[in-house]
Amino acid sequence: MSPKSTAPQGRRAGRRPAGRSLAARLGPLPWIGPAVLLIVLVVLWPVYEMVRTSFLRISTSGFVRGSAGLDKYRKLFDEPDLGRVIVHTVVWTLAVVGLTMLISLALAQLFDQRFPGRRFTRWALIAPWAASVLMTSIGFKWMLNRTSGVLNTLLADVGLIDAPRDWLGDPDTAWPWMMLVAVFVSLPFTTYTLLAGLQTVPAELHEAARVDGAGAFQTYLRITLPLLRPAFLVGLVINLINVFNSFPVIWGMTQGGPNSDTATTTVFMYQLKNTDIGESAAMSVVNFALVVLMVLLFLRVSRWNQEEN
Amino acid sequence: MNKRLLGIPLLCATAALTLTACGSGGSSGSGGGNVTLKLVAADYGDKASNSSKGYWDGVAAAFTAAHPDIKVDVQVINWNDIDSQVKTMIQSGNVPDVLQTGGYADKVADDLLYKAEDVLSTATRANLIATFADAGKVKDTQYGIPFVSSARAFFYNKALFQQAGIAQPPTTWDELKADAEKIKAKVPGVTPYALPLGPEEAQGESMIWELGNGGGHTDRSGAYTLDSPANVATFSWLKTNLVQPGLTYANPATTDRKTAFADFAAGKTAMLNGHPSLIQMSTEGKVDYGVAPIPGKTGPLKSTLGVADWTMAFKKNGHATQIKAFLDFAYSKENTLKFVETYNLMPVTQDTLKEMSTGGKHKDLEPFFALLPGAAFYPLGDTAWDKVSAELKKGIGSAVADDPAKVLGDLQKKAQAAVADK
Repeated sequence: MSPKSTAPQGRRAGRRPAGRSLAARLGPLPWIGPAVLLIVLVVLWPVYEMVRTSFLRISTSGFVRGSAGLDKYRKLFDEPDLGRVIVHTVVWTLAVVGLTMLISLALAQLFDQRFPGRRFTRWALIAPWAASVLMTSIGFKWMLNRTSGVLNTLLADVGLIDAPRDWLGDPDTAWPWMMLVAVFVSLPFTTYTLLAGLQTVPAELHEAARVDGAGAFQTYLRITLPLLRPAFLVGLVINLINVFNSFPVIWGMTQGGPNSDTATTTVFMYQLKNTDIGESAAMSVVNFALVVLMVLLFLRVSRWNQEEN
Repeated sequence: MNKRLLGIPLLCATAALTLTACGSGGSSGSGGGNVTLKLVAADYGDKASNSSKGYWDGVAAAFTAAHPDIKVDVQVINWNDIDSQVKTMIQSGNVPDVLQTGGYADKVADDLLYKAEDVLSTATRANLIATFADAGKVKDTQYGIPFVSSARAFFYNKALFQQAGIAQPPTTWDELKADAEKIKAKVPGVTPYALPLGPEEAQGESMIWELGNGGGHTDRSGAYTLDSPANVATFSWLKTNLVQPGLTYANPATTDRKTAFADFAAGKTAMLNGHPSLIQMSTEGKVDYGVAPIPGKTGPLKSTLGVADWTMAFKKNGHATQIKAFLDFAYSKENTLKFVETYNLMPVTQDTLKEMSTGGKHKDLEPFFALLPGAAFYPLGDTAWDKVSAELKKGIGSAVADDPAKVLGDLQKKAQAAVADK
């Protein structure tokens, strides 16, 4: 690929002695060229393939049998489980992101204070982030195991439950546990984003507020929170996209089962892969559209952010 | 300047070379007398020392010694990867001549396979156990060649039965329920009956229960009858008599077969439907087990679930004659016996079955030998079965938690859609 992109430039430079002014006219193109190429190869091309696959009939042995038109989309929207899966996805995204933001605000405030051992606790907070998410969720899955899970044993020993329970087998108990894990792995990034934001708040403002007689809570509400908005928004939108796309937590713990009762749209897409690649691709296209919507929203919000500033 | 210009075509040429190099793999010498057959097989071993690669390399070497003009290129792939790798081979046109794996019907749908009669001699075909050969048929023509098999039987823990004061294994559903209640009362902490309807193998456990009530996944004509009255009654019975009273796992829909087997081998489960691999697990776990016919609604099952893995031959390279020579060699008693004994599996050929069941060397497998000739199969010859099976794995467990009629009805609709789509 690279010879192609440099060829025209080389030839022209050969013909004209004024190669430098041309290079100047090309501007940043030669510099951003490789990046653009990379985006085309690893982002745009797979997107094209994904959309194309959603219009194909592919046999389970991997044989392409021709065009399917809009059949795969029709089949997808006729899935009896789809409605529930979408509701799950919305609840999952809102609950996990909401809890993450709330807890992170408190944690960031805590870590902004000076206290002995702050450096150590700040490092410790990175742990859930540094560990592979899949590893964390598989770890929790085994801790919750019906017969040999340590959390089951612990809860029974403390007296919170009478006998070990099959937490992940029942959607009603599996959801809260998966949300807990998802919040757990989202906290470090969000807390650090907010912490960075907190450190940009000038100390004089707090001092001025104190002089004016504002209480701690009022200072936080009127001064800290508004100034924290840029960091908060970045954290919020990145978390929305991350949690919406969150696959490893659910796949590692329940694989979306029983049936699709603990599946979000991303996990549902993966489940469909077992029966129909085309329909699975159609689900991916829908997911992709939703993520693009969220990104557009993010751009809009960040512009609004700049204008306010 | 010149140097720069020179560099460009050179780069292009290297790029072109590396690109085309990818395209020219896997063309074996089909002309002349020398032929190399490409064999792809699944790995039945669980570690490097007992990998099936050793077995197939031995067969290939012995075969080439007898037929110097035919070489066999052996590729053994583990079970997790073989499906996707075979898909890639088919999509890239680089198909094997002989493939040994779990299913065959989807390849028949795309017209990729030789008929069995084209690649097996009459004697070898006649030697296959009839029920297995029949399970290899798609619309009355045999494409799938059974390779190894296994059948299900009822396992029970003799020590736990004794503790609960039960003398005989159950023969009907009601007896099974009564025994489960006794075990629950006398031996707390043990799962009386393990009902694994999780995604790993729900299609098997559900079919065994359906057979017990005269139902099944399909009717005699091969049409899907997932929501037949008999099947709905079966799942209703399971829901009200085993699941709700807590005589089995709390959530059968998410409990996999391997969990059930591990529980049995650890003495934590009193009864379940198992296959021969459970024999070794139980022995290693020092569980005193018994094997009995599977209880049905009114009496033990006459025909139990049989499972087979398959060999198939691809048409693409046109090596029918050579494949025939190789398969006739590979299906000789000497070779098949060696394979099934290595992995404690069941044979699919009559001479090997006879040798094993009369030799006295396989006492523990004897209850299973009798089951093989009468085994019932999944509708393997239906090219939509792979899809239906995937739907069953995912969804049928919910039938013992939610409304059985609705769950089975939804599955039936999906099965019919899959049939219409093939």
